[in-house]
Amino acid sequence: MTSVTTEATSSPPTERAPAPDKNRGTSGFARFGMALPWLLPAIVLIAAVVLYPAVLMVYNAFRKFSKYGFEQGAAGWNNFETALTFPGVPVARIMLNTVVWVVVVVIATLLISLGLAQFLNKTFPGRKIVRLAIVIPWAASVVMTSSVFLNALDPNYGLFSDILHRLGLLDSGTALTQDPTTAFWLAVVVAVFVSLPFTTYTLLAGLQAVPGDVLEAAHVDGASAGQRYRQIVLPIIRPAIAVAALVNIINVFNSLPVLQILNRTPGYNEGLTTTPLVFAYKSSLGPGVSSALSVINLLFCIVIIAIYLITVRPTREQ
Amino acid sequence: MKKSVPLIAVLVAGGLTVSACGSSSTPAASGTTTPAPTSSAAGSPTSDGESSGPTGSSSAGGGEALPATTISVLAPSYADSSEADWKTIIGAFKKVQPNVTVDLQIEAWDGFSDKVAARIQAQDMPDILNDNNYGESADDLLYPVNEVMSPETLATIEPALLKNGVGTDGTQWAAPDIATSRLLVYNTDLFKKAGISAPPKTWTEMEDAATKLKAIGVAGYGMPLGKEEAQAESTLWLWGAGGTWIDGEGLKADTPAAAEGFTEMKKFIDGGLTQANPGSSNRQDVADLFNQGKVGMYVSHSGLTATTRDKFKDIKFAETPIPSKSGTPVGYGVTDFILAFNNKDEARKAATKSFLDFFYQEAQYGPWYKGTGLLPATTDAIASATTDDAVNAPFYQALKTVQFTPSGYKQWSALQSALQATAGKLQSASAADVLKEIQAQVDAAG
Repeated sequence: MTSVTTEATSSPPTERAPAPDKNRGTSGFARFGMALPWLLPAIVLIAAVVLYPAVLMVYNAFRKFSKYGFEQGAAGWNNFETALTFPGVPVARIMLNTVVWVVVVVIATLLISLGLAQFLNKTFPGRKIVRLAIVIPWAASVVMTSSVFLNALDPNYGLFSDILHRLGLLDSGTALTQDPTTAFWLAVVVAVFVSLPFTTYTLLAGLQAVPGDVLEAAHVDGASAGQRYRQIVLPIIRPAIAVAALVNIINVFNSLPVLQILNRTPGYNEGLTTTPLVFAYKSSLGPGVSSALSVINLLFCIVIIAIYLITVRPTREQ
Repeated sequence: MKKSVPLIAVLVAGGLTVSACGSSSTPAASGTTTPAPTSSAAGSPTSDGESSGPTGSSSAGGGEALPATTISVLAPSYADSSEADWKTIIGAFKKVQPNVTVDLQIEAWDGFSDKVAARIQAQDMPDILNDNNYGESADDLLYPVNEVMSPETLATIEPALLKNGVGTDGTQWAAPDIATSRLLVYNTDLFKKAGISAPPKTWTEMEDAATKLKAIGVAGYGMPLGKEEAQAESTLWLWGAGGTWIDGEGLKADTPAAAEGFTEMKKFIDGGLTQANPGSSNRQDVADLFNQGKVGMYVSHSGLTATTRDKFKDIKFAETPIPSKSGTPVGYGVTDFILAFNNKDEARKAATKSFLDFFYQEAQYGPWYKGTGLLPATTDAIASATTDDAVNAPFYQALKTVQFTPSGYKQWSALQSALQATAGKLQSASAADVLKEIQAQVDAAG
């Protein structure tokens, strides 16, 4: 990501008058026509990599496919029915897991990142190095990070297993990754770990916009540290928090590799969220059923985001 | 608020690009359009393919030059040398049919069927597929194998194995190219140490042996019920109970014999006679434990025992037939197959036929199957290997009496998926419940 530079000016108390509009008088449509050439590359990109696959997914959800992905005609709502009622799949539990997964990972990530960002915003010797160190989990691929955790927790030769066993926290031969419940919570920890860098940097960028002189003035006026943080810093970094939360919700919801790698229990177990289930269906029931579940997944994700926007109202004007 | 809009926009855009960690793996055919005729044959002293096929056939890779076309091969990696072994054959074939280009894509076994499905869905079906089942025949995607192999070539394949490639409709959809037989492999040192006099023949003796092994601090029996091999392991116990998956016209999972086999497995798991977490162990995990001397016995094949012999010299082992309830040995065999997809292109079909006839010639096939570490599928190779390959003699012996999983049945792929997904639940659920669930999954996928 490019470095974000924001004007570190104090926000003026009154709104500036809007600049006179040069295009006043031309209709909105004509203005859109003028803007189109500049917008076209982005529109084409979005159409090709977002809209087309999404439309195809919805289409596939209503087609009957063999396990190998050979199309056999229309399916109506059968795929949806199969996706939600396939025997042995604890669908309700998996849906609940998904909500828990998103809520816990996003909240934990935000709280830890707020602390980290605050810390990285202080000037201290070696700050650059520490900031770089925080980037590492971001630079490494999620698959790589998850694989490191998986192997470190291997009951027979894993480093972490060995340490935990010597500390008496774990029986030898117990594999955290081979039990659905422990694997799920382990994946939560790893998911938080890999989400921290992006979130921390987003919040750090927000903190850069907090004017020092205002904080100083508040300090002189006798505001306590808590008051200063709540009444000055938080309102200013609110938009950054909003972005971090939204991007994380989407990202964590759709996160496949962490759980897919760390949950070694075969089949449709109780430690899954809906995204790995989509992939499990893809290999055992073909693309029709997994597309149907993807559609449900997308709606589910939209609902979670809507709830977040309605309850938290992160973009509310001050 | 106004001021921070650009900030948000930049962050969202940046965040989305950075966080787009999609894991879509598009199959890229590794285009080896220019085969290096000499350098590709690294370390395998093959004579260039003799283009004189069996007498009286004009189709064994020789004959008239074919028109220019490209065919593609999708094959799993059996061993590190698999890609080189295929390339050697492709290089030799180029000399015989210079106009035909053969593209090769090699993929790991893990998730191999997903790779196959991806190519089918992309309408980019390989002409030749090496796989462990031929479920695609149900979708009418394949040529019957006798259309893409000459009768002489088919005649070289061991008839007992060839039967395995016949679908329930009576069509020969696939030709076996490799076989394995399974035997119970046991660590002789551990058996001595535990005071077990003879290898077990019945389930009762096996339980007894496993209990003694547990007493000396190792896992008695390695039971891989994880995603990779659950169908094989559960089939062994079903057959050990004298049952079969086949039920009239179709397949049935929830049968009394299966319940008996699963109950016996459950007994081993609950008694702590297996390695930890059998429900999520794959065959390789169990083999690793065996190689470290942590497992007393497990069901294995010649590819795995070769590794133990070469790399773990301090592990002394022997093979014995797989025990059953009654004591009659269970003969479990697997064949992998060559399938040919119908790409509706006569030139490619002719090239495919020419290539397959060439592939099964002794000069090509011999080095290729040896590279896999498994057993051959042609009569001649089996005959010569039985004398040359003394260490694997028990596996060749077993090959004569093996049964195969019912891969010719349309429901087999659903049953296999259900077993792979659910058999591991034996760890926590009862045998009856697990079988009920497996049966329900087969019915729902039907």
